Amino acid sequence: MKFRVWAIVLACALFLGSFVACGKRQDADVHIFYYTFSDTYVSSVRDTLDRTLEEKGISHQDYDANGNQTTQTEQIRTAVTQGAKVLLVNIVNTGSDDAASEIVGLAKDAGIPLVFFNREVSNAVIQSYDNCAFVGTHADEAGKLQGEMIGEYLLEHYGSTDLNGDGKISYVLFKGEEGNNEAIFRTKYSVEKANEMLLAAEKPALRFYDAANTNGYLVDQNGQWSSAAANDYMNTVLASYNSNGNNMIELVICNNDSMAEGAISALNAAGYNKGGDSPAIPVFGVDATEAAKTLIRDGKMAGTVQQDAAGMANALALLSENSLDGSKNLMDGTDVFPVDENVRKLRIPYGKYRG
Amino acid sequence: MKIKIIEKFKAMDKRERRIYCRELLINNSLYIFLVAAIVLIQCVNPRFLSWPSIINIISLSAANLPIALGIAGAIILTGTDLSAGRIVGLVACVSAALLQSSSYAGKMFPGLNTLPIFVVFLIVIAIGALIGFVNGFCTATFHLHPFIVTLSTQLIVYGALLLFLMTGNNNGQSLSGLDPSFTNFIKGSVLSLGGTPIPNYVFYVLILTAIMWVVWNKTTFGKNMFAVGSNPDAANVSGVNVKRVIILVFMLAGALYGMTGFIEAARIGSNSAATGLNYELDAIAACVIGGVSFVGGTGKISGVILGVVLLRLIFVGLTFLGIDANMQYIIKGLIILIACAIDMRKYLVRR
Repeated sequence: MKFRVWAIVLACALFLGSFVACGKRQDADVHIFYYTFSDTYVSSVRDTLDRTLEEKGISHQDYDANGNQTTQTEQIRTAVTQGAKVLLVNIVNTGSDDAASEIVGLAKDAGIPLVFFNREVSNAVIQSYDNCAFVGTHADEAGKLQGEMIGEYLLEHYGSTDLNGDGKISYVLFKGEEGNNEAIFRTKYSVEKANEMLLAAEKPALRFYDAANTNGYLVDQNGQWSSAAANDYMNTVLASYNSNGNNMIELVICNNDSMAEGAISALNAAGYNKGGDSPAIPVFGVDATEAAKTLIRDGKMAGTVQQDAAGMANALALLSENSLDGSKNLMDGTDVFPVDENVRKLRIPYGKYRG
Repeated sequence: MKIKIIEKFKAMDKRERRIYCRELLINNSLYIFLVAAIVLIQCVNPRFLSWPSIINIISLSAANLPIALGIAGAIILTGTDLSAGRIVGLVACVSAALLQSSSYAGKMFPGLNTLPIFVVFLIVIAIGALIGFVNGFCTATFHLHPFIVTLSTQLIVYGALLLFLMTGNNNGQSLSGLDPSFTNFIKGSVLSLGGTPIPNYVFYVLILTAIMWVVWNKTTFGKNMFAVGSNPDAANVSGVNVKRVIILVFMLAGALYGMTGFIEAARIGSNSAATGLNYELDAIAACVIGGVSFVGGTGKISGVILGVVLLRLIFVGLTFLGIDANMQYIIKGLIILIACAIDMRKYLVRR
């Protein structure tokens, strides 16, 4: 008896709840598919884009694939049958063209404009459908800018960074995810670019702190670019590489700002990077999140690479508007952004951020 | 006791002795593995057993212990708890939001002064316990397996977390800029060993573990928990309020996740929707490695500690050895499999 009462209560709650949720529903024109809601940078794009589209009076609906390509493809399939007019896709799987091609196929069959953003797809995918474009960055640019910042920083502060005075800078690098192009490029180019600048100034190349690790990085095994992973690693690394052993880590490079924050939290516990007069190990990130900007302002972090969330959101809103306006071409008015030659890829520029 | 065992051993014939030794080896293989692993890693990298490294292993284990102790209760009831990690994430984000420094530019609730730490602690423990109550209530009332119930609540909690992160003027950003009083309370240190500071949270977890030991071993609730775990019908017949026990176990578990999240918020310093992801899997693994059996009704606090420490040792050890990260999955998987096989063997022998 009691069981039935509770079951009915629960069912009623659900019923009412779904009514409330559906209260303001109308069929949306623009359907936006995010690879995960938990990504900090993508969340800031989502926030700006939501507001921009609302200001322009364009109805839209957001989806969360929660890091799963199958989920996302199913969401897109459903949105197409629901009558979507524009698809904006922050694709999950960037490793191969398969998923992207399938999505292009869905859009092409229904004749709906399709814009990929943030996570890059190949030129061939974009070129396979006339109403398809990409809005993103140059994947290698963030790493190169980060490397440049590191190089500039080191050339300026070489002596004070080389804590044990062995003439070489030992570093640790935290990678966000295996098999992700952004992560691969950031990992590769940050070190390459910094080394290029160091060698040009006749300084030795950076040295990964642990010669036994031939990868030259420590990776978040959950692929979440998470501060927790960087924090656990940093604590572990600091346990054997510290000022007592005269082998302290002298430079920390992170694929994103979340990881930089985690690393700084671990450094804090060891008495470093607490701001003010405390000794600081230079930590570099990417994204320029609010948190990272504050850390840089407080002297706890050395630099980050700014990803322009507003710029990306504006570009996406423009493409959506073009698509909904029957008299316009998808790419109308996009010449304010750098666009690749021969392929419809808009590049939102990165910038260095040092406070 | 010891002498008795020696006498007994002397009285055995050759065959019995061989079987006895073999059993001893198999039953303690985890400890043997642990010692062997430590010796091996120490040989390759002598800094492994230095004070900073030992304290690092202890602190990493301490951070992962409360969630494992909570999930252990659910496993003792032949259940599980998939919502643990997401509860940790939600609670960590709530703690961080309420304890952001008032001078922080990207503060989630700019009008809110930094609350007293103790108040926030109570709030987040209450949130954890409340979600735990929902888990326990649905399990007990609707006679659903906790796997199903917590599978659902895990999604609900994640949704709530995402909504929470979009509120205020946060807009989905990660929550940082915590008040120094909070980070000092958790990460600060009053005691050093060999020149390396021990973070305060290690002591909080020690106290918590002692309390949990008392709860499990010395209280009626603890005895009822094991009774319900090994045979709910028998427990019911002997006058135990099974429903109440199930609800309380999940509430206690929720409160422990609350504690984990509270520590995690300050320990990591940056909290996002990814915080807590998959923590439950590590915690469940730690429990089963430590002999908290899915058969129900068996488990010890010391076992949970062993499991947690072993998993952290693998992480730290492989990082020290500079072994490819991919190997960690394989080694972890093998250890869980072997540990559970040994555990089941012991259980069958006892029956």
